Amino acid sequence: MSVAATRITFASPDGELNFADGDLDRWAEHLVWCYSLIGVAEGSTIAVQDFGTSPLAYLGSKLLMPTLTAGVAERLDARIICLDASPDRIVLTPEVVRQVTPDVLIVRADILALLLDGSSRAGVDLTAVPGLSLVVVLGGESPPLPAGDFRRLLHCESSLLMAPQCTLCGCFHLREGVYELRGGTIHNLVHADAVPCAPRDLRPIDETCPLAPGDTLFELGRPEGGTR
Amino acid sequence: MTATEPVRSGDTYDAIETWSPAQLADWQLERVRHVVAGAAGNGFYAGHWREADVDPRRLQSWEDFRRLPLTSKQTLVAAGESWTARGGNVAFSTRGTSGEPLVVWLDAAESETFIVPTMRGYWWAGFRPGQTALMQSPAWHRLAAMEGHAVLRLGGNAAYYWGSGGPQYAGYFMDALERVRPQFVTTTAPFLVSLLRRFEDDVIDARAMFDSVRSIVAVGLPLTGQLRAHLSDRLGSEVFERSGTQEGAAADECAMHTAPHIHADVCHLEVLAPDGSPAPAGARGRLVVTKLHDTGDPVIRYDTGDIAERFDEPCGCGRTLPRLKIYGRPESSVNIAERRITAYDVRTCVDADPELVGRQVLLVRDGNDGDVLNVAIEGTEHNAAAIERRIHDQLGVERVSFTWLGRARMAWGFRQVVDKSEVQER
Repeated sequence: MSVAATRITFASPDGELNFADGDLDRWAEHLVWCYSLIGVAEGSTIAVQDFGTSPLAYLGSKLLMPTLTAGVAERLDARIICLDASPDRIVLTPEVVRQVTPDVLIVRADILALLLDGSSRAGVDLTAVPGLSLVVVLGGESPPLPAGDFRRLLHCESSLLMAPQCTLCGCFHLREGVYELRGGTIHNLVHADAVPCAPRDLRPIDETCPLAPGDTLFELGRPEGGTR
Repeated sequence: MTATEPVRSGDTYDAIETWSPAQLADWQLERVRHVVAGAAGNGFYAGHWREADVDPRRLQSWEDFRRLPLTSKQTLVAAGESWTARGGNVAFSTRGTSGEPLVVWLDAAESETFIVPTMRGYWWAGFRPGQTALMQSPAWHRLAAMEGHAVLRLGGNAAYYWGSGGPQYAGYFMDALERVRPQFVTTTAPFLVSLLRRFEDDVIDARAMFDSVRSIVAVGLPLTGQLRAHLSDRLGSEVFERSGTQEGAAADECAMHTAPHIHADVCHLEVLAPDGSPAPAGARGRLVVTKLHDTGDPVIRYDTGDIAERFDEPCGCGRTLPRLKIYGRPESSVNIAERRITAYDVRTCVDADPELVGRQVLLVRDGNDGDVLNVAIEGTEHNAAAIERRIHDQLGVERVSFTWLGRARMAWGFRQVVDKSEVQER
């Protein structure tokens, strides 16, 4: 748990996260771990369509945050494109994708439909751009996703929960030593401010994944409906 | 003494603030020569200058510099990544208000370079060690990425409210304001106006809400003097204008509030007349940016499309750094009888009425009326004849047509010109 003095505070809709020196690096390392399970390769160009106050955005690079010595860009030798999630900025994404051709587009689930529709109207089908993988960021209460071949990342902001859907086992991973599942609630074991999170329709899976045998695995969604 | 040798005495931050104009011009010319020499190996610039039959190796004077051809957003977009060959780690997109967005990259060396003027601007606005700054997210704009670094290096704490700059995030800002109790706030001018609306709607005491805040830095829209006074009065905090572009322009106001001082250690800003010659001080023209460090993407004589004006007379603060006001883009202006009228100009005429200051003002584009200025104003009709008289006297516009939007509230944003059909829909 953090004991050093807070230097950075991120407010979130249901709380706040305070960071002392060194905290952000711990979480940047964790985000890189998430990306590795999702299949994001070193050297990737990663576009992040999220609010800049999301850790998926601000952990992107040390250039974005003081006290962060190495963000995703520095750890993965990657390039990060900051794309805001507000409606007036979503419309720019097709052109940005055309100019920069990212390998990965990380996008919040609650704006996915808007982004796909808008891009389609601009003549870009984001689900069919060669070499582009879409990673959908699910919240604890995310809407159903449109049909498509998406990778998934569960993210609950005030919990500092980042749990990737593994490309090998297909389950979501709760990283050993970072989170703990008690009942249907996920507890952050590392960050003092983080509040517990209870994602809707979480189903523990009593198996292990060879990529991270100590992790707790789970699925999201009703058994008959598949992953939301 | 180097340009950024710390002074930090009173509200003076570093040495460059009091350099003589000649000293600054000589120093900048050396920087320009260095940057141009560095860019000569860039495929895009090499070709661009060759096409214009200009040899960058012969650059010895400002006259030589001004022979370098301008670049534009369209040119750079078309050039793809060939002009951004230095391999930045983080990219930001311009807002695309003038068509396609331009993607600009930031690398570590350039970040270091631009953190310094951010510290300077924050210092001018009163930020001091031990204070907390509440800011918009670090990823929404290239200049915003420097702000957290600047705050911590000045010995303060950084806080961010959730969401983005739209009015729908006002509640999150208010929550953060109450929790963090900052002494310093940075956000956009449209967001501040949206906040005032929210306070009004919810019958919230704005001054009580802002009672911990001493200074507010407003970005994203040029402030009229009346709007600044209105915001300062309603929020009980001194409001400073910060301006800049994703491509490298950077400027901050001092406590005189006459116009932002250019951060001349990182950018050389030209204001050009329509014929491409330097516009005299006090005359408007096109803003052209050259970055002064050989880091990040090279930006040399980049025509931003912005309309700007330079002020060369001494500032009451004693700083010698030139001042520059960015009024807006062609997209935030209309041509009336061959005169370019910016939304800022019209807001100045509207804001002069204390009953109207802070209301959203939009210029309405109507292809049929080339000599009529169409203005849409939020709220019920108020003193239209007086506004029309001010527009006539100050802007030289003979015919004005008003649309009063009543309770049809439009989100205060960066867009200030709309088509007539958009107003009719409301």
